[in-house]
Amino acid sequence: MSVAAITVTGVIKRFRIPLDRSSTLKYRVTHPLSSSRYRDLLAVNDITFDAPRGQFLGITGPNGCGKSTLLKLLSRIYVPDSGTISVAGRVSPFLELGVGFNPELSARENIFLGGAVLGLTRKQLAVRVPRILEFAELEEFADQKLKNFSSGMGVRLAFAVAIQADADVLLMDEVLAVGDARFQEKCFDVFAEYKRQNRTIVLVSHDLGSLNLYCDRVLLLQNGRMIADGPADDVTSQYRRIVGAMSDDDTAAPSSSTESALGSERWGSREVEITEVRLIDQTGHSHTVFPAGGYMRVEIDYVVNSPVQDFVFGLGFKRADGVNLAGPNTKTGGHRMEPVMPGARGTISYTIPAVDLLAASYKLTAVVYNSFLNHAFDHIEDVLTFRVLDDKGRVGMVDLRGEWAETRQPGE
Amino acid sequence: MLTDIQTPPRERASQYFVGERASAFRSNVNLTRELAVSSFKLKYTGSVLGYAWSLVKPLLIFGMTYIVFAVFLLKGRTSKGENFPVELLLGIVVWTFFADATVSSVSAIAGNGHMIRKAYFPRWIPVVASTLSATMTLAVNMALMFAVGVPLGWFHIGWATLLLPLLFVELYVLVVGIGLLLSALFVFYRDLGHVWEISLQLLFYGSAIVFPFTLIPQRFRMLVAFNPMAQIVEDMRRAMVTNVIPWSGQILGRWTFVPILAVAVVFALGFWVFRRRAPRFGESI
Repeated sequence: MSVAAITVTGVIKRFRIPLDRSSTLKYRVTHPLSSSRYRDLLAVNDITFDAPRGQFLGITGPNGCGKSTLLKLLSRIYVPDSGTISVAGRVSPFLELGVGFNPELSARENIFLGGAVLGLTRKQLAVRVPRILEFAELEEFADQKLKNFSSGMGVRLAFAVAIQADADVLLMDEVLAVGDARFQEKCFDVFAEYKRQNRTIVLVSHDLGSLNLYCDRVLLLQNGRMIADGPADDVTSQYRRIVGAMSDDDTAAPSSSTESALGSERWGSREVEITEVRLIDQTGHSHTVFPAGGYMRVEIDYVVNSPVQDFVFGLGFKRADGVNLAGPNTKTGGHRMEPVMPGARGTISYTIPAVDLLAASYKLTAVVYNSFLNHAFDHIEDVLTFRVLDDKGRVGMVDLRGEWAETRQPGE
Repeated sequence: MLTDIQTPPRERASQYFVGERASAFRSNVNLTRELAVSSFKLKYTGSVLGYAWSLVKPLLIFGMTYIVFAVFLLKGRTSKGENFPVELLLGIVVWTFFADATVSSVSAIAGNGHMIRKAYFPRWIPVVASTLSATMTLAVNMALMFAVGVPLGWFHIGWATLLLPLLFVELYVLVVGIGLLLSALFVFYRDLGHVWEISLQLLFYGSAIVFPFTLIPQRFRMLVAFNPMAQIVEDMRRAMVTNVIPWSGQILGRWTFVPILAVAVVFALGFWVFRRRAPRFGESI
């Protein structure tokens, strides 16, 4: 039986939007008897749920659905108008990265300030400063003012400080929206560690890919009400159905810019030309970060420029350091490409039900050759980079899908 | 080929969580101190003279008021045996603290909106921190005044001087009370910043900072002495500088309790208003 870390019962939060300007003394003095008029906005409307210890809970929904308000209620920044919230243990006191930071102070001074907001004492922080700077990769910049940092450096420092939070329940608002794939991997490492320590994490995000990747469970909010609560996959796909035409940029696919990559090392006579290469996750969205053992589909869009009799599509999977992992193609895969007329367009896909690669960066090469594989129509080396994340901390390159078993003779 | 297969050892996050958990009280004290120290630092970074400004400023004000009041206006009008220039300096130093501390705490909540909106911590912390950072300046100024004044025989140290710490406590309670009241109300009524600036001017002249208390006509003396700032400054002068001027108690007689009660009322009011308003700060800023 699990112990509830968070219990939320019938919570209502109402915002009063003033219809007139009553926030100046002049108004108060000149309209002493007028009771101010308000428009009530039910930001969070009767929400009830509980989360057991160690759960990674996601909260999502369209803009203005109340997800950030709910998070602020959990953190005590807001007080509910009715209902109760109880949290077992200490709640991390901040929601965003870099709260308390001051651009005029040095990285070191900001560590003490940001750490103090987290509830850490000077003594505790003094011990951790070297580690924080190392994690943020800012050892040489310890005494530089924050205002001279690039935004990436600032985020790294803020994250390195934020993970020091000594709390049982961690609340995060869109922290994953910032930072590149490498930063996200660091986030993931930290989250995995939190989970091992049986801490509870609440993540507010509208990046459905991240929610699927990280969360055990997702709550879906709309107009202040909770309309779904369940496993991440189910809820995020329900969200897509409900919201319907949710635009792609809402699900921030990090740097899946095929356009720029198409210009990398490329050769071929272009009778058949590759126009785009995409990686698709199980939710049907283009992504460049995948969980180990997760679903992945490679899609190649092509256009035929001159008539060709026979052609073969192929892929090359390489680790970032160049080690070749796999080179599937339509010929060995038994998929015959029919002859086509110039001007024809098409998409060919390669579906991997479970990517049995382990955490690392990988490069994808996409090619189209003649049937003897000795003439390149189009060959794009390293067209895409993708990343595999693994929450189990496994070592190596592949999951061999083996199983452990044991037989034992009883000892003395 | 082994080298190909080995992945670089991944950074393990576990090494980043260590140590004992601090109690809520210690965390709060620590945050207060960090905020106070950093705002003290920030006030003077980027300026050529740096910390020296905290000394130069009251000295300049002292110089000006000394020439205007002690040299021109009040020549020959101070009591016999009175050391008015030192009284004036003490008054200016104490007043500078009062003005700095209250003005900076007006915006302690509203001006830290980014923190209040995004993080939870007891809301009194930024207010107390801003009064503490003014206290640091006061401490430096007082120390310097003693360092220079004692060898020069500016001060009249006696048993009465023992009252000084109590007077500073009274002053600090007053400042925190005003700070809590103004910072809480300023979130909802932004005119308060201007109102307080003007009130400070009024209080400055109503607290007998730049002239001896005895210059006030007899029938107004009690009224002025009801003002806690007048009482605090006057009693500090009596405790530190000269024994020829009266204690506020001698002026007020059986009404001695009024300025002390006023401080208590201001503090209680500030505390009450702040506590009532604090839960709404996050959504109101």
